[in-house]
Amino acid sequence: MKFLTSCCALLALASFTQAETLKINGSTTVNLPAAEGAEILRAEKKMDIQVDTQGGSSGGISALGDGQVQIGMSSKPVSDDDRTKYPKVKFNPIHIGEDAVAMIVSKDVWDGGLQALTKQQTQDLYEGKVKNWKEVGGPDERVVFFNKEPGRGTWEVFAHWAYGDPKKAPQVSLPEVGGNEETRNKVGSTRGAISQLSSSWADGKKVFALGIKTESGDVLQPTPDNIATHKYPMSRPLFLITNGEPQGEAKVFVDFMLSPQGQELVKKHGYLALDQLKTETP
Amino acid sequence: MISASARPSLPLASRRGRFSLTKSASLAFSLLALLTLAGLVLIFLVQSLPVWRQEGIGYITGIKWFYRANLFGALPMIYGTLVVAFIALLLAAPIGISAALFTAEILPPRVRLVLKILVELLAGVPSVVYGLLGILYLRNWVYHLLTPFDPLSGDTLLTAGILLAVMILPTVMTLSDDALRGVPAAQRHAARGLGLTRAETALGLTLPQALPGIGAALLLGLGRAFGETIAVFLVVGRQDNQPLAWRSLIEAGQTLTSKLGGSETNIAYGDSLHWAAMVGLGLILLATTVVVTLLGSRLAQRRNIHAE
Repeated sequence: MKFLTSCCALLALASFTQAETLKINGSTTVNLPAAEGAEILRAEKKMDIQVDTQGGSSGGISALGDGQVQIGMSSKPVSDDDRTKYPKVKFNPIHIGEDAVAMIVSKDVWDGGLQALTKQQTQDLYEGKVKNWKEVGGPDERVVFFNKEPGRGTWEVFAHWAYGDPKKAPQVSLPEVGGNEETRNKVGSTRGAISQLSSSWADGKKVFALGIKTESGDVLQPTPDNIATHKYPMSRPLFLITNGEPQGEAKVFVDFMLSPQGQELVKKHGYLALDQLKTETP
Repeated sequence: MISASARPSLPLASRRGRFSLTKSASLAFSLLALLTLAGLVLIFLVQSLPVWRQEGIGYITGIKWFYRANLFGALPMIYGTLVVAFIALLLAAPIGISAALFTAEILPPRVRLVLKILVELLAGVPSVVYGLLGILYLRNWVYHLLTPFDPLSGDTLLTAGILLAVMILPTVMTLSDDALRGVPAAQRHAARGLGLTRAETALGLTLPQALPGIGAALLLGLGRAFGETIAVFLVVGRQDNQPLAWRSLIEAGQTLTSKLGGSETNIAYGDSLHWAAMVGLGLILLATTVVVTLLGSRLAQRRNIHAE
């Protein structure tokens, strides 16, 4: 009881302080450059910024929709569903860079000879039709598929590629992983593991990014060139999202991320900055 | 504290016939707390109504959860929550009670106090810290330990149970210690005077007398285990629809809290049935925790009466 009452008091307090803090929430992928940008602004402009990664991209979109944050971070575009859910919110996605999702595997699978997958093979692995890596040309090892939580930007990009539309992806009961750090750690420490992950997070020591084998037999790697030209099919834009035009502190932050200094941060974390893109994304 | 201030049915200006600020303020705040709880339960009930209407009792007994097919069966998650919490209790109880016997019966009072403070500090460590330690060390340790049984990964119900055991150990230990110390010293002296050894006194006299209090300690530990989210979330595997079989102990599973902590709540928002199903999980969790905590407090009260 005492606890509940003090919670009420805390909530009341929190709503007072909210006006002064710039709150940002969403994708763990966008978080890397954004958190570093926030660090710089905190030091240089004494801004009070709080960056969080609750619930990934869809967490960022709903936190913005609910008015809990001024900026949402997302590694997927705002969908029509999101706009219907929050009819009063004017979602304003600001493109800050480009990234790619790769299927990543643990070292034993990579060393066992599996370095690329076709779309069909990926679907079979996802749906549990292939249970041993042997069946797709890998080592004799069971497949452990750590699925990125549906709702995460990474998962949506994967589902778009593998099934055309996330809603058409069959519902599976796989162990799920959330943030990028968790995904990398769990895949790296489990034999026969595979998951979907931002390709720049694949370190090439414990986890490895697979190429995608096309129908013509070419293997596409998530290289900067292939991402910039959208040849690699699982590339994706990275967004900061505001409600309407960014204002006040939010505008300062957005402008910083679009400035040469901010774009350097995007590059530093392995993503493509805007000037590296050859064609505009839709 | 609530029962004491809310009990008097006489008007506030009773007894001495004058208005008491302390009394009315504490009554108001107690009522506020009660109303908050009632409001919480009411909101949960109303928001989860659609799923009860659609699934009926099948919501609790169903074993399939596929939200896009509008299938909502919460049993695997209830099972996961219970299994994980009971593994935790099974591991924490013997260690916690033995440790409490040591601190309460054998250690000199000053050392006991220092040790108790240290243990209580452990109870205050944020759960995400335990969770990260779980990811870094425990799940790999379990993975290697279980190799003969060929688990798919280190994320299992067992891993979550072991991690929770570590987390509830301080609660179990320090409350059991209180229960043991609650047994009047005069009885202990009398037993020693009759020629019983220290061990005989502890096991034959203090322990049986403190049992209700130790029961309370265990139940409060269990209550914490039910509600723990982040640490479990990071090592339980979060796999829906795990089979309700022995084998599931060393396979990935899902608990009520790990489901609620995941990204699915964001997807559910805006779809009234799916949202209701998620809120319903919260209601089930709330109900279990309240029952266990109430039982625990009841036992703790009984102990106090004995001790007086």
